[in-house]
Amino acid sequence: MKASLRLAGGLLLAGLIWEGAVVVFGIRQSTLPRLTEVLAAIAATPGAYWSGFLRTAIETLIGFAAGTVVGVANGLIFFRAPILRDMLLPIFVVSQTIPVIAFGALVVMWFGNTLMAKAVIAFYLTFFPVTVNTLLGLHSVDPRQVALLRSFGATGRQILFRLQLPMALPQIFVALRLGASLSLVGAIVGEWFGDTTGIGVLLLQAMYNENVIAVWAAILCAAVLGTGFYALVALAERRIVFWGAEQ
Amino acid sequence: MQTTTTALLEMQSIGKRFGAVQALDGFAMDVEPGEFVTVVGPSGCGKSTLFNIVAGLEEPDEGGILRFKGRGCHAKELLGRVSFMPQRDLLLPWRNVVDNAILAREIEGANRAAMRAEARAMLPEFGLAGFEKQYPHQLSGGMRQRVALMRTFLFERELMLLDEPFGALDALTRSMMQRWLLDIWQRHRRTILFITHDVDEAIFLGDRVLVMTARPGRVKLMRKVELPRPRKAELVTSPEFTAIKREVLDAIEEEAMKSFVAETAA
Repeated sequence: MKASLRLAGGLLLAGLIWEGAVVVFGIRQSTLPRLTEVLAAIAATPGAYWSGFLRTAIETLIGFAAGTVVGVANGLIFFRAPILRDMLLPIFVVSQTIPVIAFGALVVMWFGNTLMAKAVIAFYLTFFPVTVNTLLGLHSVDPRQVALLRSFGATGRQILFRLQLPMALPQIFVALRLGASLSLVGAIVGEWFGDTTGIGVLLLQAMYNENVIAVWAAILCAAVLGTGFYALVALAERRIVFWGAEQ
Repeated sequence: MQTTTTALLEMQSIGKRFGAVQALDGFAMDVEPGEFVTVVGPSGCGKSTLFNIVAGLEEPDEGGILRFKGRGCHAKELLGRVSFMPQRDLLLPWRNVVDNAILAREIEGANRAAMRAEARAMLPEFGLAGFEKQYPHQLSGGMRQRVALMRTFLFERELMLLDEPFGALDALTRSMMQRWLLDIWQRHRRTILFITHDVDEAIFLGDRVLVMTARPGRVKLMRKVELPRPRKAELVTSPEFTAIKREVLDAIEEEAMKSFVAETAA
């Protein structure tokens, strides 16, 4: 409670500095508009911003969720089948070194201007870090711990679900926090390849119209979405991995 | 080979080599049912290898004889048949005290609710009353160790392997835990094989003290401890105790010297 009050105070302070600096130093609107002007622009057409926000949020979430599921599954498969890991992981690495923009056009041709196209790009950016960190987490389990469970007569499956996977959770969450930011980037970039709603669309329109206030309004929306999503993932982490990274 | 002996565990000419290192060579011992045998020896003498074999985690080299309850067997057949407690408590941080204590039984497929009830009833005996909902990171080192012991006891097997369970505790907690362990052992009557670095601990707890040689590990001395039970704290200053201690210490020192010379010469 106290911490969130302080955070609110900090945000207010940052807003005041923004507003004040523009007035005091006489910064031109085309460089940096006042915060109140930006907020007023959002308040003038709240529907457009809200539907854009929602659309981008859904694309991000779908991509993120799919990336998490596939990433964890990949990690598990690679852990249990090192042959597959040696065959496929390098290909995954190569795929990640190709800038996502290069795939954008292809994804649009495959999925059209659909919500799915953006979710696919968000997915593409998320699944890899989750795969790598799941694998890393599974490998980091203390071998003495594994030996103890074996001495109890545990099967490989029991060791995986009762020990290795829970032990890997802190590592997996590191990737999920990263994935939360990356999936938003993926969704916005996806929208640039053609769409009619979304934060990315708002950004492009504002840029073509050279409307600085609208650009800032879209940035603000993206910031709220990105921060909110990250905070949710961090909250889930605190709840699920409550024991921290001890041991 | 005849198998008329009553020993719970028999080992004869057991050897184990890891690459260039001969950890055990010609190791032999018997453990009778209900007996408390303590194992001491210089560091790196193969004590842990011995335990890993008895726990079923490591297969001894060809040529040795390993019998459990009179039947010859491979080490891996002992998996799930002895209750093993390693040096560190190795509690799972996401499980509370009760759920950590029942882990071994849960793996065995026991009913969870029934096991939890059984574990809860055991908490006072292990000095954990009121702590059932606590997580490992909320417990002191001594308490974590007791949870690990409780997990070992709940996994009801005839043979318990305890690998320096009190090694990380301070002297006072340790001597309290020793008396407490004897108390529990006397009530539950299990067979215990107990590794320690501490000669006092070995004599105070054991029916027999086994001193191992420097690597490759063999039996240097098997000393019966004929001190009366129940054993009280003041026992450690009695002349009988000191006499045994002298004997055991001499044996250990001789071996420690050997490994020291071997290391400095290398």
